Amino acid sequence: MIVSRQIQKLIADQEGWTRRMFEEGLKIKKLYGEDNVYDFSLGNPDTEPPEELQKMLVEAISNPVRGMHRYMTNSGYDEVRQDVSGYLSELYGLPFTASHVFMSNGAAGGLNILLKVMLNRGDEVIVPSPFFWEFRNYINNHGGTLKTVRSTDDFQLDIDRVADAITPKTRAVLINSPNNPTGTVYSERSISDLVTLLNRKRSEGQDIYLIADDAYRKLVFDGLQLPNLFRAYDLTCSINSHSKDLALPGERIGYVAISPRLPDADLLMSGLMITQRTLGFVNAPALFQRVVSKFQRTSVDIGEYQRKRDVLYEALMEGGFECVKPQGAFYMFPRSPVADELKFIRALQQEERIMVVPGRGFGKKGHFRIAYCVPMSTIERSVGGFIRMGKRFIKR
Amino acid sequence: MGISKAISKSMKDSSWIRAMFEEGEKMKKVHGPENILDFTLGNPDVEPPEQLKQELVRLVTSDTPGMHRYMTNSGYEDVRAQIAGVHASRTGLKFTKDHIVMTVGSAGGMNVVLKSLLDPGNEVIVLSPFFVEFKFYIENHGGIMKLVETTEDFHLDIRKIEQAITRRTKAIIVNSPNNPTGVVYTEEELKELARLLNGRREKGQRIFFLADEAYRKILYNGTTLPDVFNIYDDTITITSHSKDLALPGERIGYIAASPRITNLRPLMDAMIFSNRILGFINAPALMQRLVGKLQGISVDIREYQKKRDTLYAILIEAGFSVVKPMGAFYIFPRSPIPDDVAFVRELQKHKILAVPGVGFGTPGYFRLAYCIPMDVIERSRQYFMEMGIKNNRR
Repeated sequence: MIVSRQIQKLIADQEGWTRRMFEEGLKIKKLYGEDNVYDFSLGNPDTEPPEELQKMLVEAISNPVRGMHRYMTNSGYDEVRQDVSGYLSELYGLPFTASHVFMSNGAAGGLNILLKVMLNRGDEVIVPSPFFWEFRNYINNHGGTLKTVRSTDDFQLDIDRVADAITPKTRAVLINSPNNPTGTVYSERSISDLVTLLNRKRSEGQDIYLIADDAYRKLVFDGLQLPNLFRAYDLTCSINSHSKDLALPGERIGYVAISPRLPDADLLMSGLMITQRTLGFVNAPALFQRVVSKFQRTSVDIGEYQRKRDVLYEALMEGGFECVKPQGAFYMFPRSPVADELKFIRALQQEERIMVVPGRGFGKKGHFRIAYCVPMSTIERSVGGFIRMGKRFIKR
Repeated sequence: MGISKAISKSMKDSSWIRAMFEEGEKMKKVHGPENILDFTLGNPDVEPPEQLKQELVRLVTSDTPGMHRYMTNSGYEDVRAQIAGVHASRTGLKFTKDHIVMTVGSAGGMNVVLKSLLDPGNEVIVLSPFFVEFKFYIENHGGIMKLVETTEDFHLDIRKIEQAITRRTKAIIVNSPNNPTGVVYTEEELKELARLLNGRREKGQRIFFLADEAYRKILYNGTTLPDVFNIYDDTITITSHSKDLALPGERIGYIAASPRITNLRPLMDAMIFSNRILGFINAPALMQRLVGKLQGISVDIREYQKKRDTLYAILIEAGFSVVKPMGAFYIFPRSPIPDDVAFVRELQKHKILAVPGVGFGTPGYFRLAYCIPMDVIERSRQYFMEMGIKNNRR
């Protein structure tokens, strides 16, 4: 076989249901037409970048500056990192400077370069479950081991379980809030308990990093405030993306922020300079670095996402589904009325032409994920289907 | 310790290159950047072609909905089809969009290919002098780099390559036009290499030929680049638009896998998957659309040729021993004293910044990157002459 055995195995692990679902979905789309299928399977927002951003992009391109497409230092343009750090200082109330910001190819790029810097072979990274499946691949890329820890029933951190999962090899805890796939935002309580635990470990001589995947940071509803992780814990790194807040997923732009309180922050940055280069990213795309630096305080219309959540959540409640009300991101993670969620999902697809992703894709069987970053009209036309399916499958 | 052992070792290994770079930066601060003749970086000073700039404006003002969204991990279908079309007409082979994966430059592309091919302990042959990053790319994915020296004039030494092949050899990386030597391998030597690899294939071992063609359009004096796809079946090219379209900061390139590779589908699937899990996800969207339409154009190669001619003439006049580059924008003269690091330091005293050959696995040489303004090259004449008179007299 010509392909790496490791990659073959990884592909085979996910092939089974994804491919089957995908192919069945395609068939249904062909049969009924794209418009009559309600596809909630992808986290690919249907929104466009903010108007002013598009204007600035046109301006930047219409008045080209010499050297604007050339290489720059691996961490990104100094002035861009300066702008971002100014925003972070304001946001977190800590003295961030350009030397705490590393421009990356989206959150996926940022997470890979950071894990590569941190992990020795066999080091463990704790991830609360359900979780974004790619974390497993990213950790595995760099010789680490993923240790999942079940969350509580309302998808908050289960600190006792986290404590039990820590071993001498634990290098980091990776959290994602607002969360994919649950839409949960970790409470002040969850975070302060976690920090107490990590600080205790620290006083015992084990430094465990807190890595926050903040890809959905600005997508928070009901005026909720996210806990300030940087103030809470010194060994914090945050992974940021402009895929969701500025609707630029295809352009691959984001950044890694390192706490000004982190001892060895310089060393970590020097390490990132190497992994950014050697993993083949080299630098975050030049043009979009400049563009996003001016829009750190901007985001797409969050109200629109909130309205979508409300319509969908109400429908699920009416259908009798059990579901934790999401407070952010654009995902919902209801319990499947049938223990084997694949069965339910297939019925949803075949009978109502609604496509969702099974919970096992996030390490939690018996649930399914709805990505509602789709047009409101799609949601409105699908709610009847959700309600019918709920009423049929859920025994009261 | 905040960082992994492997990375802190990498930091130490490359620390002297870093030291050179930082010394250079310091010198620029002291003497003013305009007074430093910097030949260290392959960061072209040219601007993208005018047509590219126009196309970019057209794209962003077109108001196409969804143009910044995710697309399939391999890249836009129409862009891949455009690139496949160019390959089909150039090679006469049946390239389709399914043979192309859009990547984050060739650095991204090379990582994707190696991740897809390598199991721990697999060996990859690299020809020295070589682009140091190859070592990191190979080791990222559990592979082992096997260095093979080239001949005196930096061409393939088939016998040495043959000796380096073991049962664990999975691939050979060939970079032509070459960084750091500027050498372009001939059709004959590549065919000889293909014969060697085919011999292995008959014995049941498939060795992939990975052609790093980042400099493929930068060729001088009518030199043509041999069509590697028609020379050897198990061929994958990794191409970048950093140099030919002068877009290095935008990170755009692609992988092209030969339609002649048997059982290709799993390999393509693996590359698309690797593109995703390594965190590239997809090549930057806007740049994909841009380069799809511009496969036929490039920056003005004649400018580079003039620079090569000028620099080569200076070096010859100053008595340096050097192979005349036929492509890329590097030249790799022999250091007049055996200690190339000492010589590079001496150049520094004349405010000339160069990279010692040890940084390319070949001590006793130094690399000059001449993708810089012509006047910098001209101003270097006097210093190279002085250095030559001092060191090259026998």
